[in-house]
Amino acid sequence: MNNPYVILKVSQDASKGDIMKAQMISMKERKYSLQEIQVAVRQLLDPAKRLAADFMFPAKIKAKRPQKISVEIPKERINVNDIDENAFDSINK
Amino acid sequence: MEILIVFVALGILGFVFYESLPNPKFKKAIRLFNDGKFAEASEILVSIFEKHPDAPARLAECKLKQGQHSKLLNEVEALKYFNEAIEIKMRLSAKASKSNYELIEALAYYEIAQLKFKNSLISNSDENKIKELKDSLKFIDQATKTGINIEFNILSKSHFSELAGIYFEYGFKSEKNKKYETAIDQYSRTIEFASKSAESNVFYDSITRKGISKLKNNEHVELGILDEVVHAKDEYKKDFLFRLSKTLLKNNEYLDAEKIIIKHLNFSSPDVEKLKELIKAKKINDAAKKVDDINYQVDQLYEKSFPITEVKSLYEKLDLRIDEIKLVIPAITEKLVQLKPGLFNRLLAYYFDNEQYEKSISLIQEYPLFYESPELLKNLGISCYRLTAQGGLTERNYKQIISCWLTALFCDKVILKSMEETSWDDEYTFTLIDAIGSRYKQYSNLPPNVNYSSISDSNISIGATQNELLQQFELLLHQQISKESLLKTVIDFYENERDAIKKIVTIINKDILFASPYFANQFGINVPVIKELEADYKEYSNEEVLEAGLAYLIENSSSHIYKYASAKEVLTKVQKAIENENMRDLEAVITNSNKSLIEEYDSINSVFEDLVYNSFALKIEEDDENEDLIPMMEECIRFTDNKAKLKFQYSSYIADLCISKVNSDVMSNFKALSLMKKAYINSPGNVRICKNVSTLIRYNLTDFLNDKCTNEKEMLAIIDFIGKNRSKTFIANSDELKRELKTIDDALKKNGSSNEIILKKHFMDLSQKGVKIVTMIKTLNQLI
Repeated sequence: MNNPYVILKVSQDASKGDIMKAQMISMKERKYSLQEIQVAVRQLLDPAKRLAADFMFPAKIKAKRPQKISVEIPKERINVNDIDENAFDSINK
Repeated sequence: MEILIVFVALGILGFVFYESLPNPKFKKAIRLFNDGKFAEASEILVSIFEKHPDAPARLAECKLKQGQHSKLLNEVEALKYFNEAIEIKMRLSAKASKSNYELIEALAYYEIAQLKFKNSLISNSDENKIKELKDSLKFIDQATKTGINIEFNILSKSHFSELAGIYFEYGFKSEKNKKYETAIDQYSRTIEFASKSAESNVFYDSITRKGISKLKNNEHVELGILDEVVHAKDEYKKDFLFRLSKTLLKNNEYLDAEKIIIKHLNFSSPDVEKLKELIKAKKINDAAKKVDDINYQVDQLYEKSFPITEVKSLYEKLDLRIDEIKLVIPAITEKLVQLKPGLFNRLLAYYFDNEQYEKSISLIQEYPLFYESPELLKNLGISCYRLTAQGGLTERNYKQIISCWLTALFCDKVILKSMEETSWDDEYTFTLIDAIGSRYKQYSNLPPNVNYSSISDSNISIGATQNELLQQFELLLHQQISKESLLKTVIDFYENERDAIKKIVTIINKDILFASPYFANQFGINVPVIKELEADYKEYSNEEVLEAGLAYLIENSSSHIYKYASAKEVLTKVQKAIENENMRDLEAVITNSNKSLIEEYDSINSVFEDLVYNSFALKIEEDDENEDLIPMMEECIRFTDNKAKLKFQYSSYIADLCISKVNSDVMSNFKALSLMKKAYINSPGNVRICKNVSTLIRYNLTDFLNDKCTNEKEMLAIIDFIGKNRSKTFIANSDELKRELKTIDDALKKNGSSNEIILKKHFMDLSQKGVKIVTMIKTLNQLI
């Protein structure tokens, strides 16, 4: 079944008046058959059916706009070269 | 006298001659050998060296013993004897016993090798010691070792152990003098010798010291040697592992360094703490670089040219990155996690825009706990609908899609979520009164425009919307699937899934996800459904609840639903056994425990008889003269307490079978009577059965009188049984039998006597036949 919003080229918030106007325009355009236009109009004028048509619009999950993340890096206190490699020397004991 | 002298002389000559023969000489030599007189024994053995096969080996043994006695006091002389024992080999004749000799030869070699080893140990310098040990090893290598290989092996190991010790000391000295390359070489030699010795400590110590020398010499060390290093002397081990950890840190291989520290340097030490601190700093640095990479990609997200594959790659690796970074910089974990939904939305929008619904389905299904989010369930439903509209799906695809679609549709919250995104509906209110995803007022925190009031022009039915969507989807399936068999499979699946959800919706009065069974199984969310159904059953003992749970059953659980499923399985197995005429399978399933099991459930127990009846009816329809069905029917009648219909079916089947076969002369009257007895036992009040039993008794009587009956005793027993168990129906329906007996009786009475007297008179002096007839008449008279 074609999306009635697409057939009538109206937004999801279209009022009844908008829908009736759109019906006239669509009929003039003849992109869709008269029957398809009438079904679309009926669907959008019937709240239960219009809700069904609304169901077909994807929903976004709650999301924040991806932002860069700043990281504070503590300054290294020790340098590897400062480590005494002979700390556990086993030959000159 | 002269004769006596001649005899004595001959005797002396004979003795001297005898004594000069090889055997007596050899025996004498053995006696001397055993007495420790090796020199004297040797002399004799030399004289018979060529003549007695064992003489060379014994001679060599004498030399060996002489050498062994001398070796403590005079080593040179001992060596002379051992060598003489060995040299005998050169003079062995063809008839000499080589095997006996070889053992002595090997022992002589062993003695020499031992002396050589002993002497090498007291060498005046390490260099000489090495030379002598190596010479000795060479000697051992070339020696005959027959029979004493183990001893030679042990002696060789002692040589290698000594050599390893010397080279380890060399290495140690070189290392101390900072000649690391030499030390490495010497430790390598040590390892080589130690590996051939029994000395494991030197082996592990030399590996460790070689590692230390390499590290001191800035050479690469393979981490594989850690397995050996752990067995080395503790101080060497610590020295090596500390140096190695530092080197690894220097080379930025801090994860390996960390593993070593955690596993082997796990003791308190300020120097080890420094290493740990360094590792921590390195990890933070590394994590920060990974964050930088992510930041770069986040920046790129806002560039139009940033390809979707990069978004996908970033999205997919984000969890891994979070796992890596959260242990090092926990403070930014939350920020990283927050990146995910944004990337998800971006990907989902792309897939929707490009009609890539298989990808959108995968994306959603891989999102953690996606089924708990109304938004994601809605998007999943939309993806499924649109993928179906694209067509060309397989049976498996349809199962996936249908289960997801139904789960989304039966989740009332999905529709409620849909309403949040529009404003046209502000002038209406919506009611959940007939919503398909609930039967009770089970939601809290409803939006202000949603209620449970009656449907009206301004209070719109959410159920109507859901049903509209269901119908649209059903229509779509019919439009898209042209292949009839696939359409049937898909529609059957759809209806089963839908009905299963409907069932649980009517039962469960809680806000849980009413997933379709396929969906619940796929994503492992059956548990809440089963839990609620179990609770309901415990409360109300309603078997419909168990029936509803079957589709959500988890294998091998201890639930009521599982038990109920097992009871139903009994029914299926009985039907299957009847269908296959498999008596063994039937006997295996109609056990007392299974009887108790199905009796626990009225809904199962009450249909058992009908199901079995129908199964047999189908078999009878296939073949109405199949005697194999009779014992199966008997087993089923025995199994159940509700058996009136089965008994009727059983008796009627036997009656039909007997009548048909007797009339066609393919069954004897006796066999028919035997079968009919069984039918009579099960249906004594059945007029048709009683009449047929009566008729068959008449037939058997006629056979008897005409001498055609071959089972007289059994036949009489059957008639006797029926006589003792006469039913009113039988008595009322045995007129023909009565008439038959009267005819016989009248014939007998023509002679004016009672039948018994007549029989006695006419049927021969109480011959065997006569007695039988008397008994028969008596029995028959009991019947009527």
